Amino acid sequence: MNVVVPELGEVGEVKLVRWLVAPGQEVEAGEALAEVEADKAVFVVEAPAAGVLERILVGEGEPTSPGETIALLKTS
Amino acid sequence: MTRLRCADLGRVRYGPALDLQRRLHALRQQGEVEDIVLFLEHEPVITIGRRGDAGHILLTPDELARAGVEVFPVERGGDVTYHGPGQIVLYPILDLRGWGRDVHRYVHDLEEVMIRIARAFGIEAERRPGFPGVWHERGKLGAVGIHVRNWVTMHGLAFNVDPRPDGFRWIVPCGIPGARAVSLADLLGEPVPMEEAWEAARQAVEDVLGAGLEPVGREEVEAWASASRTG
Repeated sequence: MNVVVPELGEVGEVKLVRWLVAPGQEVEAGEALAEVEADKAVFVVEAPAAGVLERILVGEGEPTSPGETIALLKTS
Repeated sequence: MTRLRCADLGRVRYGPALDLQRRLHALRQQGEVEDIVLFLEHEPVITIGRRGDAGHILLTPDELARAGVEVFPVERGGDVTYHGPGQIVLYPILDLRGWGRDVHRYVHDLEEVMIRIARAFGIEAERRPGFPGVWHERGKLGAVGIHVRNWVTMHGLAFNVDPRPDGFRWIVPCGIPGARAVSLADLLGEPVPMEEAWEAARQAVEDVLGAGLEPVGREEVEAWASASRTG
């Protein structure tokens, strides 16, 4: 399952600031996975379902955008 | 007119205010409480946002302790900020789905609130593209930094009314070397009574958000928040 940056409205440049979980880690649905920042607003990206974080596609400090898949989740 | 709860918390230490915000933020996401705007002043504190660099604090831990300044890493956007007495701090805990569902617009609105507070004192402040907050040609007058989860906001804005000037010498504001903080009192060349600034802030929030503020007592807000401890 894809972990996607949520829609935030008309934001400009978005950057992934940090990952809160590491690949291989088990997560619950709704758990905070990562934080992205735009316009001095930090947004939490949550797990869309329970599972194991399989792979991170966008690293800390890298640009991203709403709708982009930033990680893959193996659902349980 | 939409009504919006507000609470005047007076002067509070950063830690308890952060704790209150976090509990209200969690409860708002669960739909357990209404939108609310917290109005307060902080005791001297330096906070480090998510893009923050502790190297932008210019005092050593010993010097900070002697000056009675606490330091907190926090979940808002932005870099290093100083808060202290003489500064208006607003923490709106809002579900943005009821306020336009647009984070950029919300940040813009917080800046607009500060521009209007300044204007109430005859000072023209402005936005600078790429540098959130509000600015005067002599320096930065107000800062914005927010955190959003499930469309619910926390943290907010800080506007310099008449703070003691040394606080801003302890940091590199926003991590921008050479950036200066400036206050309404600096720009007017005279002290500014906080009560007048609070009145201007309440009016600005009502006008910008198009809502009528409805005061809630501090005890009531703390009672809302403490309900989360049992949950």
